Amino acid sequence: MREKIEERFQISPFLALYAIVSMQIGIGVLGFQRIISMEAGYDAWISVLLSGISIHAIVWMMYKICETAEGDAVTANLFAYGSMIGKGVSFLFILYFIILSVAILRGYIEVIQVWVFPELSVWGFAAVFLVLVIYIIYGGFRTVVGIAFFGLVLPAYLLLVFGFAFRYSDFTNLLPILDHTPIQLLKSSFHMSLTYMGFEVLLFIYPYIKKPEQSKKWVHFGVIITTVFYTAIAVITFAYFSEKLLQKSIWATLDMWKIVNMPFVERFEYIGIANWVLIILPNVCLCIWSASRIMKQIFPLRQRKAVIIIAIVCLIIVGLLDTRQQVNMFMDLTGKIGFILNYLYVPFLFVSVLIARKVKKK
Amino acid sequence: MKLAMSSLLIVSIMMLAGCVEKEVIDDVNIAMGLGYDLEGDEVLGTAMIPVYKAESIENFIFSSKGKISRELIFRMRHKSGQPIVTGSLEIAFFGDKLAKKGIVAFIDAFQRDPSIGSRVYLAVVDGTAQEVLKGSYGNRGNADYFSGLFQHNEEQGNLPLTNIHQFLFDYYQQGQDPFLPLLKKRKDLVEITGLAVFKDQNMVEVVTADEMFYFKLINDKFSRGTVRTEIDSDEVIVRNIRSQHKMELSGRNPWEFTVHITVNGTIQEYSGKFMGPKEVKKVQKALEKQIEEESLKLITRMQEYKVDPFGFGHFAKTRTRGFDFKKWKSDYPNAKFEVKANVIIKEVGIVE
Repeated sequence: MREKIEERFQISPFLALYAIVSMQIGIGVLGFQRIISMEAGYDAWISVLLSGISIHAIVWMMYKICETAEGDAVTANLFAYGSMIGKGVSFLFILYFIILSVAILRGYIEVIQVWVFPELSVWGFAAVFLVLVIYIIYGGFRTVVGIAFFGLVLPAYLLLVFGFAFRYSDFTNLLPILDHTPIQLLKSSFHMSLTYMGFEVLLFIYPYIKKPEQSKKWVHFGVIITTVFYTAIAVITFAYFSEKLLQKSIWATLDMWKIVNMPFVERFEYIGIANWVLIILPNVCLCIWSASRIMKQIFPLRQRKAVIIIAIVCLIIVGLLDTRQQVNMFMDLTGKIGFILNYLYVPFLFVSVLIARKVKKK
Repeated sequence: MKLAMSSLLIVSIMMLAGCVEKEVIDDVNIAMGLGYDLEGDEVLGTAMIPVYKAESIENFIFSSKGKISRELIFRMRHKSGQPIVTGSLEIAFFGDKLAKKGIVAFIDAFQRDPSIGSRVYLAVVDGTAQEVLKGSYGNRGNADYFSGLFQHNEEQGNLPLTNIHQFLFDYYQQGQDPFLPLLKKRKDLVEITGLAVFKDQNMVEVVTADEMFYFKLINDKFSRGTVRTEIDSDEVIVRNIRSQHKMELSGRNPWEFTVHITVNGTIQEYSGKFMGPKEVKKVQKALEKQIEEESLKLITRMQEYKVDPFGFGHFAKTRTRGFDFKKWKSDYPNAKFEVKANVIIKEVGIVE
C-alpha cells in the first residue's frame, strides 16, 4: 500500500524481541506486586500468567492487522475506516503515547524524589532526560532499538540481587493455591495487564522489521520472557513479604533491595534506582518515536519537528503533576486507556480490517 | 544542529548537578543506634553516635523526650552541632516497659524512611535502652559490638534469625506473632538473656536462654546452635551443624500438629571416659527425648499465653481452604501438639 521503508533503516527480526521486552519492563516492576495482590491475594501469580498468555492472542492479532494492511496501524486505520476517521483514530494513538511516556517519566522521577533526592526538580530532570531522548531518536529507529537492547542487557544483573531475599523468604505464603474465586483472579489479571503494557508499539514498528514473518517467533518469545520474569518476581515477593506487610509497601521491589548486604555498598537501592534510568530510557524513546512517526504520517510534518513538539508537550504535562495522588491518578488513567487500546481496540481493528479486505476484494 | 544539541545537554547537566541536597559524611552525626524508653507519659529517646578518634571509636549519646520516633530525632537536633542522620542505623533497642505497651508506632518511622535498611537489629532491653547504649564496649565502637553480637549468635549460636524485616513479617503475618532478642546489661558487657515474645505488638512472655535452642529449632528454616545433654550422669555438649523442621497437620478437629525435627550434630565435649558407637547411640536417644520434651514444653507454654511465634496458625492456613482466622483464635488454646525428633550424630571430634 505505502512506499516501503528502506532496508538501511530496518532492524533484524530478532531485535524486535528487545524492543518489545524493554517496552514491557518499565516503571511497573517496582511496585506491581501490591496492586495485583489486592484482589487475588497471594494467588495473584496465577493472574500474572493468565494475562501473559492473553498477550499472545493480542500479538497474533496485531500481526494479522499489519499483514493485511501491509503497513503499520496508521495504514490499517486508513485502510479500514478511510481517510477522515482513520486519521482521527491514529491521532488518539499520539495522545496515548504521550500520556504513556509522561507516566513512565513522572513515575521514575517520583521514585527518585521519595527514595533519594526529595528536592529534585521535576522540570529539570525531565528536561535533561527528554533532550537525551530527542538526541537518541534523531539517530534513527536503529539507534532507538539499540538503546532498547542495552536498556535490557546492562541492567540484567539486577536480577541476581533478588537472591538476597531468599534467606528471609517463606514460600508457604503461597499456599493454599487457588484459594480465591475466578472473578478475583480475573480482576487481578486486569491490574496486571497494566504492568505488561507497551507491546502495542509492535503496531508501529512493524514496517521497520526486515522480514516481519520471521520476527513473529521472536516477539512471542519475548512475551514469554516477560511473563516468566514477572511471575518469578511476583513469587519471590510474595514469599518475602507477609500479605498484610506487602499491602503497606508501595515499591515492593525496592523494599526487597533493602535487605541486600554487600561489603562495598551499604544501601543497594540507590544503585538500583540509578540503574533503572537505563530501563526507563528505551521506554520513553520508543513511545516518543512512535508518536512522532504517527504524527509524520497524518500531518504534513517532518518527523524531526514532530519529536520536538511531542517532547515539549511531555515536559509540560510532567511538570503539572505534583503530588503522589495526582501521579497515581494519572498512572491509573494511563493504564485504563492502554487496556482499552490493547484489549478492545486491537480486536476491533482486527475485525474491521478483515471486513474491509473482503469488501475491497469484491 | 548536533553541536547545539550537545552543548545544550552539557549545560543543563552542569546546572543540575548542584541542585539536590547533599550529606557529606564528615559534616553529619551518624546515629548508629537508637533507644526508646518509657518515662511517665512520654518516651525518652537515645541516639548513639560514634566519634572517630585516631586510636578508637568513642561513643556519644544524645537524648530527648517526645511522643513519637521522628519527634525525638528533631528534638535531639536542637542539641547537636551537626545534623543527626539515620541512614546508617544498625540497632534499635526498646526498654521492656515500652515493649509491654507496644512498639509498632516507633517501627513505622523505620519502615517509612527509605534510608533505613531491612537489616536493622531490633531488641528489647531488660531495664532501659539508655543504660545499654550509654556503655562503652571495646575499641571498635558500640555499633560494631552490637551488630557482631547478634550476627554471630544468629549464625552459630542459639539466637533465631531476627531483624526488622523478620519482625514486621511476623507481625503482619496472620496466624503468627513476632519475637525479639532480649538483652540485659551486665557490668561492662551486654548479654542476650533470651527472647521477648509479642502478642500483637505487646511483649507478653520471655523465652529463657536455655530454651532458645529449641525455639530456634522450631522457628528457623535451618538452624545451628549448641545444646547440653546427659547420659549416665555424664555431660555431653552437642553442636548442631544443620537442622531442619517440618510441620505436619495431623488432625483438624481439634487441631493437631506434629513437628518433625531433624538434627545433624557433632559431639564437642564429653565428660565421661569413652565415646564409642554405643555411647553415640545413647547420646542420640537422650538428645531426642530431651528435644521432644523441651520443645513440647515451650510450645504449650506459648499456647497458654495465647501467642503463636512459630506460626501454627499460618501453617494451618496453608493447608486449609477458606481458613477462618477468627475461629482459629478460639481454637488455638485447644490445639494439640506433638514433637518428633531425629538426632543424627555425624562425628565425635578427633578423639574417640
